[in-house]
Amino acid sequence: MGKLLPVFVALISILPFLCNSFSPESPTDRRVLVLLDDFAIKSSHSLFFKSLKSRGFNLDFKLADDPKIALQRYGQYLYDALILFCPTIERFGGSVDVAAILEFVDSGRDLIIAADANASDLIKEVATECGVDFDEEPGAVVIDHISYAVSDIEGDHTLIASADFIKSDVILGSKKIEAPVLFQGIGHSLNPANSLVLKVLSASPSAYSSNPSSKLSNPPSLTGSAISLVSVVQARNNARILVTGSLTMISDRFFRAGVQKAGSPTKHKKSGNEQFLTELSKWVFHERGHLKALNVTHHKVGEAGEPSMYRINDELEYSVEIYEWSGTNWEAYVADDVQVQFYMMSPYVLKTLSTDKKGLYSTAFKVPDVYGVFQFKVEYQRLGYTSLSLAKQIPVRPYRHNEYERFIPAAFPYYGGAFSMMIGFFIFTFVHLYSK
Amino acid sequence: MARSSGKDAQALFHSLRTAYAATPTNLKIIDLYVGFAVLTAVIQVVYMALVGSFPFNSFLSGVLSCVGTAVLAVCLRIQVNKENKEFKDLAPERAFADFVLCNLVLHLVIMNFLG
Repeated sequence: MGKLLPVFVALISILPFLCNSFSPESPTDRRVLVLLDDFAIKSSHSLFFKSLKSRGFNLDFKLADDPKIALQRYGQYLYDALILFCPTIERFGGSVDVAAILEFVDSGRDLIIAADANASDLIKEVATECGVDFDEEPGAVVIDHISYAVSDIEGDHTLIASADFIKSDVILGSKKIEAPVLFQGIGHSLNPANSLVLKVLSASPSAYSSNPSSKLSNPPSLTGSAISLVSVVQARNNARILVTGSLTMISDRFFRAGVQKAGSPTKHKKSGNEQFLTELSKWVFHERGHLKALNVTHHKVGEAGEPSMYRINDELEYSVEIYEWSGTNWEAYVADDVQVQFYMMSPYVLKTLSTDKKGLYSTAFKVPDVYGVFQFKVEYQRLGYTSLSLAKQIPVRPYRHNEYERFIPAAFPYYGGAFSMMIGFFIFTFVHLYSK
Repeated sequence: MARSSGKDAQALFHSLRTAYAATPTNLKIIDLYVGFAVLTAVIQVVYMALVGSFPFNSFLSGVLSCVGTAVLAVCLRIQVNKENKEFKDLAPERAFADFVLCNLVLHLVIMNFLG
């Protein structure tokens, strides 16, 4: 018993270091909870899960109505990301529900939601809370009679091929996706006033959303390019959410299938699904486009330390280091559009920072001729990148009494007037005394 | 009516001139000195109106030296004027000594405030 106790204490003290979760130093998520409708999905979507595992993620597969699932225990989150491949679930098991999922996202963790043709109201509700509105009509799918994928079996044009990608190398990778992406499922729309959601794959202008087996009695509510097939949301706390209306687009069958768009002669041997979803999953799990800013420094030109106050018309230099996470380590972020503002109620100075390509951004400028309490502000929001919001406060004082020129040129007439009075007085005394 | 007022003005002006011509020379010299001080003050005020009052302390110092000089000169004139019944017993040397001392203090203050 006496020997066991120190061994036990030593083992317990190592435990915190064994935790394999994401942290600000290593933002790529590690532990992922995958909720499935049934375990057949695990094998029918094996290529997607294999690519995740090969990038180092620990996947935990559970049935969505398993009564033992929990996202957090005793205030600690057990997972860093959640994948919902359970479109027909009516009620989650365990302690998971819509509120718990939203809290999960609010804590900065990522989410992937896949719906399908028979999606339940619960999944649609989770998506709505994330800013994506699925078509509410039950049984409605996206139909496109012009941009459908040519296929031997599916003749009702619900299998569509789309190549309307968002133009962003950060989200979709630098390699162009040559083949169109196959999609079969429900469409959703985004609120145009919402600046945080992005349409990654949109439907063609000839698409519409309705039930293929029933006759259309009134015009469909979702039509054309307003239908988004795959969307992403980047929340203000930099959590990333991927929402897709087709679980089958992630399946092995679609990954391996060839695709030919109706009306186009080119037959692609492999659809763009695998490349599209692999790159997208890299972005969602913070392997790309995740920035951090460090070491905000400013100092007077010629001095080394950071002063506590500047004077008007001082020359100063400002620098910040910005790094981008590459999936394994932090690399220098290179861009030419990072700007710093010298701000007091409105920006008095707005300068673009120049980079040395190793992650250091710096610039030099003159303090404006206004005194007060200013802030160095960097507000950097670019499509697909995490937003940077830095602010550092610094007061600016006016000239001290002895910091003016010794003889002010504008005051020479007054100097002249005063001296001429003195000389006049001197001459007058002589004239007054010695005149008769 | 206009013609009579015009003639009256001329008559008034003429009588002022003849009365002034009768004043002693030393008083006339003091008057000239006061005129010089006021002229300098006016020049400085016009300059300030044009350019702005940036070193305001310098402007005040310059104008105040002119005004102070003028005031002290007027005091000297009052005390030295023989026709003035009030200061009949005051020796003109005493008046002059006061004048010189006050001017010294005035110019000391002006130099300090000039910046």
